[in-house]
Amino acid sequence: MNQQSHPGASVGGGGFVPNPRQEMEYICADCGAKNEIKSREPIRCRECGHRIMYKKRTKRMVQFEAR
Amino acid sequence: MAESTQKIKIMKGATPDLSAATYQIFDESHTMGNALRWMIMKNPKVEFCGYSVPHPSENLIQLRIQMYDGLSSLDALLEALSNLDDVCNSVEDKYRASLTDGRYERWEEKS
Amino acid sequence: MASASTNGFDPRKHVGVNAERMSHVSSTDFPGHYPGEDHSWNLAKFQEKLSVNIERLSNRSIDLDLVGVDASIANAFRRILIAEVPTVAIERAYVWDNTSVIVDEVLAHRIGLVPLNVDPALLDLKDPQNDQATDRNTLVFRLRAACERRKPAPKDTTDPRKLYTNSEVLSSQMEWVPQGEQATVMATNPPVPTNSNIVLAKLRPGQEIDMELHAVKSVGKDHAKFCPVATASYRLLPEIILNPQKPVPPHLAEKFQKCFSPGVIRIHPRTKEVSVDKQKARFESMSREVYRHPEFEGCVQLARVRDHFLFNIESEGFYPPERLLLEAILVMRTKTVALRRAAEALLNDTRGGTGDVEMAEG
Repeated sequence: MNQQSHPGASVGGGGFVPNPRQEMEYICADCGAKNEIKSREPIRCRECGHRIMYKKRTKRMVQFEAR
Repeated sequence: MAESTQKIKIMKGATPDLSAATYQIFDESHTMGNALRWMIMKNPKVEFCGYSVPHPSENLIQLRIQMYDGLSSLDALLEALSNLDDVCNSVEDKYRASLTDGRYERWEEKS
Repeated sequence: MASASTNGFDPRKHVGVNAERMSHVSSTDFPGHYPGEDHSWNLAKFQEKLSVNIERLSNRSIDLDLVGVDASIANAFRRILIAEVPTVAIERAYVWDNTSVIVDEVLAHRIGLVPLNVDPALLDLKDPQNDQATDRNTLVFRLRAACERRKPAPKDTTDPRKLYTNSEVLSSQMEWVPQGEQATVMATNPPVPTNSNIVLAKLRPGQEIDMELHAVKSVGKDHAKFCPVATASYRLLPEIILNPQKPVPPHLAEKFQKCFSPGVIRIHPRTKEVSVDKQKARFESMSREVYRHPEFEGCVQLARVRDHFLFNIESEGFYPPERLLLEAILVMRTKTVALRRAAEALLNDTRGGTGDVEMAEG
């Protein structure tokens, strides 16, 4: 049955290698705008200047027991 | 001989003729334990019958049977099992009869 | 039995209900208990005394009287109903995305508790040794929902259901994905939750849920989500025994009546004589209020009928209420057959060959 259809998905956690070429997209805690922030860049929202960012949830598949 | 995952084992200390024996029954609980105990006690050849669940984290029961006149407790167990099946059969028949005769109140329950 | 004939309380038939204690709790109908009486097992006698009567039946629950069996048998049926009649429920959740405020674990647990309308007979029990999912033992559902603002934005409302799409994710949004032969086997009755209006999660714009759900068959003793009943319980039929030697004084008849549940006690309009309405006795709450008043001392004995079980079974999930007891009986018979087979194997081990049995250390 379908357990690993998502690219880069690894069942059971572990062994995940982050993709280096891709900039991480963050979400502004104040206005909710999407921000691409590269390393060494100041952490600051382009829209509102807020300095708190949320990391987006992983798109990796996570498995749970429904108990 | 028997595989390691036996459903019933006779515990150490049983008499050679099995007129008194304790049976370990695996993956059973009070459900069958008490019903069996009652049915075995209905047998006049049985001197004593009792059951226990030795520990709640072990999924087994122990059933002790002692017989009069050196009779086999295993036969009493087998007889009780077939009698229990008759009980189930009778209850099922009467229940089905009541269901078909339809003399009960019907009502609508909101969910 | 002298006491039984004088005031009507029969310790063989009744369990006594006294002010602060119960009496005559254990059954005594065993061979050897009463000298000169035969209490050995007799199927014909049992069938003669046995009566199963359905009292009320609704789309969700059933009330039935099981009369003439021992408590151990009635209790076996009750226990099997709760713990050993198999049903199908979601067991695994594979989460690709869940940006809602409800965390993955909790959401997975909530979804696990949703009752499904799947006939358990269509699925096999999953082998605990082999975790392989196949189309014979696993159902797959897909749950996807994303919340967005409705455009144009509705005016003059704060109702999230009008402002956003998918503001609530409902059980009806679980979509069955047939695997292998399931598409044909389950075509007539496609698997869905029995209740389509269960709120699984609430979403706000930008939030999203995307999961795959695997349902398996199991029993209530494994996890409560596999329990086919909401409740399955029994109580013994109440019996109110009036003492003819000490009738209730007419001027206290109404006070006496109020000690019991409504309708249980009748008062003769002219003589003010009290009597018990046999049909209504089952509704007596057994509050024992009557024992609190010294003026009624010795007038009445409360009791329960030892072998008269009033079952109430509430269905939750696939089975209609009238099928539940039948399923329980089926499970019980399967158990006796399995035990018989094991006992017969034991018998062959002892009779044939050397006569030595494998004995367990204990």
